[in-house]
Amino acid sequence: MNENKMNQLFAAARNQTAPLPSAGFAADVSRAVRREAPLPPALFSTCDQLDFWFPRLALAAVAVIVLCVAADFGLTAAGLPEVGDGAAQASAQFLFNADDL
Amino acid sequence: MDALKLGLRKTVNDDAELLQRIRAGATGEFAELVQRHQQRVFGILHRYERDAQRVEDLAQETFLKAWRALEQFDGRAPFEHWLSRIAVRTALDHLRREKRRRNEIALPDLGEDALDWLRRADEEGELSARDAAEILHRALRRLPPADRVVITMQELEGRSVKEIAAAIGASRIAVRVRAVRARAKLKRALERLSDT
Repeated sequence: MNENKMNQLFAAARNQTAPLPSAGFAADVSRAVRREAPLPPALFSTCDQLDFWFPRLALAAVAVIVLCVAADFGLTAAGLPEVGDGAAQASAQFLFNADDL
Repeated sequence: MDALKLGLRKTVNDDAELLQRIRAGATGEFAELVQRHQQRVFGILHRYERDAQRVEDLAQETFLKAWRALEQFDGRAPFEHWLSRIAVRTALDHLRREKRRRNEIALPDLGEDALDWLRRADEEGELSARDAAEILHRALRRLPPADRVVITMQELEGRSVKEIAAAIGASRIAVRVRAVRARAKLKRALERLSDT
């Protein structure tokens, strides 16, 4: 069996005609489709939800941390009290005022 | 050529509109989609299965798979390309199932004309499409299903390596390597067939 003979075989086989679909083929497929149960609505388990939200939440947390660090550096450089000092002052003044205890 | 392109674009647009209606709930219009593409699907499946009734069963399976996966069709490629890939995968599954019970299926003997052509050392003599398809079908049965799909798509359907790779879910390099090896295996299978 040489290459030419194989190519001749392929060329002849390319001309074969496919059988025609039966007259009611499309209708049969439609009936089968109607018999198919409708796809159940997608259910999201807690794991799926976490899986969906994880990268977004992680990125948001990183962004917040970076913003806080940048703000802290900025405030220090401007000679203003640091964010931590401000929070401690506010806490002492409004939440846990030593005079009230 | 322009008319051909225009025709293809029109079919693509028509398919898109039809799919939109089907997705919106007009499931009855799926029959129209089937009618548009059934000939192509039968043509693909007939390359892998000679029995007309089985071809029809496989075509039905193809359209049902398409129906179930309709939400996944993103419209980036024409619908007929997407459907063709489903048909090829259905054929591949069929060949895998058939391989397991290959020894149970007896084939009728090859016709005299086909055997004569096969045993002749030269390329002289006419070979009918039917005989050629029968010879190839027998020889290809001895090949692994994936090899068979690669040979069929490349040699009989004239598909590109890119299309074959997309259809069988393999890399282009893997398809090229498989095509060369499959052709060599087919050659040996044809030689064995002519010795019988």
